[in-house]
Amino acid sequence: MFGPTGILIALIVLTMIVAVFFLVRPAVTASPREKILAFIALFILPVLCVGGGMSTHMQRSEQTRFCISCHAMAPYGRSLHVDNPSYIPAAHFQNHRVPADAACYACHADYTIYGPLKDKLQGITRIYTQYVGTPPKTIHVPGGYSNLQCLRCHAGARSFEENPVHMAIMDSLKSNQMSCISSGCHDTVHNVADLDHVKFWGPGQ
Amino acid sequence: MRLSEMGMQRLRRISSGLIVLGLGVEIISLLWFHPLAFALFAFVATALIAAGILVFLASLAFVAEAAQTGASTRRDTGST
Repeated sequence: MFGPTGILIALIVLTMIVAVFFLVRPAVTASPREKILAFIALFILPVLCVGGGMSTHMQRSEQTRFCISCHAMAPYGRSLHVDNPSYIPAAHFQNHRVPADAACYACHADYTIYGPLKDKLQGITRIYTQYVGTPPKTIHVPGGYSNLQCLRCHAGARSFEENPVHMAIMDSLKSNQMSCISSGCHDTVHNVADLDHVKFWGPGQ
Repeated sequence: MRLSEMGMQRLRRISSGLIVLGLGVEIISLLWFHPLAFALFAFVATALIAAGILVFLASLAFVAEAAQTGASTRRDTGST
């Protein structure tokens, strides 16, 4: 509430107060000073409020709790706490290989609502599907999960580059011809269908 | 001229109302932590505020037009 969002809300409330003044007394723009005040209240401040709101919403959409606040994404959020290191997202989340508060964004930057314009539009389409259309039973990443998401961090890392299995297929991995997650190597991902049969881990346990 | 002033005031009132409404929706979207809040902000709040700003700019055009009309009327009737 406090912090940047609190400051933005205070700015919005201030803008509303000044705009209400012009709503009640629209004739008060006789002097140049009043004209400038009207320009600030009905143009400059609203533009600032929209800019601030856009920035806040964009930052917010990077957060893990934003993604899993959607009903369909809740099981994927649960899968981050599976007590089994073969679950790739859980191992990354629990060992802070990705920032815990931006875990979804770290591995799905081209999939989440935040990102380039195309991805934002995809995010909006998913909101539409969830609330207006018919949500699919199983959620798939459009076009499959790209190795580039993994390689963004792992490429150049010694443990990755010097692994003999990786070395043998490095070209196929980097050209995305062989998927990291479906080639029988790192194929245990979220597995939300099995969540009722696994043990969970939480910080402090 | 009087009619123009009334039109200007009406436009300014509409503009203020749209902006106040849009800002209210923006506050709701900021207090609600949910993907729908993003849609609410992007489609409803932004559209209302943008419409308010456009109406305000239209009212400014009204002022300029009224001033121009007034000046040309004075020129035609007074100084000749």
